[in-house]
Amino acid sequence: MDSELIQQIRNQARDLLESGTVKGVIGYERASDGLTARPAFAYEPAAVERLIFDETCTHNLVIYLRDKKAEKMAIVVKPCDSRAINLLLNEKQIKRETLFIIGVTCPGVVETSWNYKGQTLQARCQTCQLSKPLVYDFLVEREPVEWPKAVPYLNVQEMENKSIAARRGFWLEQFERCIRCYACRQVCPGCYCPECFVEQLDPLWVGIRIAPKENELWQIMRAFHLAGRCIGCDECERVCPVAIPLSLLNQKLEKKVKELFDFQAGLSPEEQPPLATFKKEEKLGFEE
Amino acid sequence: MNSGYYPKIIGFLCNWCSYAGADMAGTSRMSYEPNIRIIRVPCSGRVDPILLLKCFQQGADGVLVSGCHPGDCHYNEGNYHARRKFALLRDFLDYLGIGKERLRVEWCSASEGQRFVDKVSSFTKEMAELGPRSES
Amino acid sequence: MNLYISRDDLMRWLAQLLRERILLAPVRVEGLILFQPVSKVEEVALDFANTTLSPKEWFLPPTETLFSMQRNDGQPQLVPSMVEKDVVIFGLRSCDAKGIALMDSPFLREPADTLYQERRTRTSLIGLSCRQAQPECFCTSVGSAPNDSSHVDILLTEIEDGYIVQVITDKGKALLPQALVESEEALPPPPELQAVPTKAVTQAVREFFNNPYWGRLADRCLHCKICAYVCPTCYCFDVRDYFNKGNLERVRSWDSCQSAGFTRIAGGYDPRATKGARLRQRFSHKLLYFPEEFHDIACVGCGRCVKSCPVNIDIREVMSDLEQLEAKSGS
Repeated sequence: MDSELIQQIRNQARDLLESGTVKGVIGYERASDGLTARPAFAYEPAAVERLIFDETCTHNLVIYLRDKKAEKMAIVVKPCDSRAINLLLNEKQIKRETLFIIGVTCPGVVETSWNYKGQTLQARCQTCQLSKPLVYDFLVEREPVEWPKAVPYLNVQEMENKSIAARRGFWLEQFERCIRCYACRQVCPGCYCPECFVEQLDPLWVGIRIAPKENELWQIMRAFHLAGRCIGCDECERVCPVAIPLSLLNQKLEKKVKELFDFQAGLSPEEQPPLATFKKEEKLGFEE
Repeated sequence: MNSGYYPKIIGFLCNWCSYAGADMAGTSRMSYEPNIRIIRVPCSGRVDPILLLKCFQQGADGVLVSGCHPGDCHYNEGNYHARRKFALLRDFLDYLGIGKERLRVEWCSASEGQRFVDKVSSFTKEMAELGPRSES
Repeated sequence: MNLYISRDDLMRWLAQLLRERILLAPVRVEGLILFQPVSKVEEVALDFANTTLSPKEWFLPPTETLFSMQRNDGQPQLVPSMVEKDVVIFGLRSCDAKGIALMDSPFLREPADTLYQERRTRTSLIGLSCRQAQPECFCTSVGSAPNDSSHVDILLTEIEDGYIVQVITDKGKALLPQALVESEEALPPPPELQAVPTKAVTQAVREFFNNPYWGRLADRCLHCKICAYVCPTCYCFDVRDYFNKGNLERVRSWDSCQSAGFTRIAGGYDPRATKGARLRQRFSHKLLYFPEEFHDIACVGCGRCVKSCPVNIDIREVMSDLEQLEAKSGS
C-alpha cells in the first residue's frame, strides 16, 4: 500500500471535515477479510484514519452520491468513477457544487472477492484510456502510472464471430441462472430510476416470476437502458452472485454506439447522449 | 409460402402515416399476405424495445415497425429517436441470437398504400424463407 | 466399528438412486458450485467447500405456482400444484441441513405450507461432513458444527479413499445400498472454527433498536437482494395473481426485506423507507424476532452472505459490534 498516497487522502479528508466544508467523506477502508476493500463513510475527523487506497479499491463510490443530495460530500474517485460523475452531472442527478472530488490517478484494480485478491488487473483496467480522473477538486499526487493497454472489445468480437445459434444458446444459458437479486442495478451509477421498469405493476412489463423469459427481459432491457450511458466500470459483473458475464452485454452496446455515433459516455459533464438526441440526416443501416 | 410454415408477424404502425397507408391499401382493395397482425401506435418513437422482445417471446417470427418518413413525423422528431433506437436494437438482437432480419424498420406515408403492400409482402416472404426461430 | 463405503461404491450408489429419484448434488457450473439435478453421476462434484446458493431453493423455489384456477364449462376449478418425484439431496453441509430445519418452523407449523411440506416429506438428505473450515464459516457459534448429524438422514465423512457412513434416521436406512462394509476407522475430529460472540446478540438488538449504528452500517448497503437469496434461512416472498384467458395462476416468488419499497403499502406509506431501517430489519429478524418466536437464531454460520455481499456487510462483525455496544452501555 502506498502510504504517502493514503496520507494525502486522509489529510485532505480531515481538513474538509474539521473545517466543516463537507458533511462526510466517502472513501475506502479495509474489509473484514483484512485483504480487500469496502466503501467507507467518515463523518468525524478521527474517522479518516480508516481510509485507504490500493489496488483492491474496485467499488464505484459515485452511487452513494445519489442518496446524499442535500449535503455537501467529499468523494474519492478513480478515473472510471469520474466518468460516472460526469454522467450524473449531465443527467442532472447531482450538483457539482455539492461535491468535493478527491481524484486519484489509478494504475488499475485487481480482481477481488471476499478473502481473495487476484494477481492480474481487471479486464476493464486493461483497456482503460484514462490516466487521471476527468473531474476533481484535489488530485492526489503520485508517480505517473503505466498499465497495459489492451485492445478493447476483443471479447465482444469473439462473441460476434460465433454462429447465431451458438450465441442464442449461450445467452439463454446465462439468463437462466439469474436470480433477480438486482445487485447489478443497485451497484450501477446509471440505474437511478425511482421506480425501475422491472418493478412496475401497471403496466406489468415483467412481473415477479424468477424464470428464464422474465430474466431475459430484465437483462436485455437493463443493458439497453444503459446504451450510450454505461461508463464501463464493470461493477455489475463483479457483484453478480451467479457469474453472468454482464460486461459482454454492455460492451457490445458501447461498441455499437461508438461505431454509429462516435460517442462514449461520461467524458464530459455536458454532452449529447445519442439516444436523447438525433440528427436529421444520418444513415444508420435502414433503406430509406 | 412453402411446406405449411406460417410465420407470425407483428406490425407496429404509426397512426398518422403507416397505419393510414395500410388503411389506404385496404380501401384500394390491394391484397397482401395476411400473416401480419397490426398494432396501431401514435408514433414509431413510442415503440419500446421491450414490446418487441415480448413479441418474440410470445411466438412472433418477425416484427415490423413502420413510421413516417424522417422529416415528416407528426410529432416532429419521434421517428428520429426511433431510427437511432432501432439501429442499436437490431444489432443487439443479432448479438443475442435473435436474428437482425427479424426486426424490420420501414418508413411509409399515408399515401403509400402500394409501398406498404410491397414492404409487408417482401418481409413476409423473407420470414417464410428464414424459417421459425430454433427455440420457440 | 463404523459403516464405510468406498468412493467407487458411493458413485454406484448415487447412480442407483438416480434411477429411482431426482438426485440433487453439487455441480460445477461456470466456475460456481450449485445444487442441480444430475443426469449422470460424473456430474457430481465431490471436492468443494460449499454451494453458492443454499439448497433452500429445492424446498422454497425462487418461483412456484401455488395453485391455478381454470374454467371448465364455465365453472372455475381449482387445480392444486403437485410435487412430482421423490428427491435425494446429496452433499449437504451440516449448516445447510440446519438451515432447512430452521425453515421448518415457519413453514410446517399449522396450517402447514402444503407444497413445502410435501417437498420436505419426499426429500431425503445425505449430508457431507466438513473436513476443512472456510474463513467465512462460524457454524459452531450458532448451534451447529462441521460434523453435526442432527438434521440429515445419512451423514458421510470423508476419510482415505471413501466415507464413513452414519445412518441417522429410518428414512436414511431405506436409502442404503448393499455395498456398505464395516471399518475400524474412527470418525476424524471436526476442524476448528473461529468463535463469534452470539450470546448477547438477541438482547443487544432489542436494546439498541434506535441506535444510529444501523444507519451508519447501511450507508454502504446496496439494498440488493443477494444476502437474502444466498441465505439458507431467509424466506420472504411475494405473491401475485396472473390472469390469462379466464384462467388464474397464483405465483409465489422470492423477495427480500432489503429492497426499497418492500414495506410500501397502499397509500404510499413505507415504515421502512430508510436504508438503516431496512438493514436493521434483516438483523432484527434473524437475531431477535425469529428466536423470540422459534427459540433459535436464524443463522447457521454458513458465511454465504459474508462471501457474496458486494460491500462487505459482515454479520459476524455486526454481532461483534453489538456486543461492544452492550459492553459500553455497562449492562
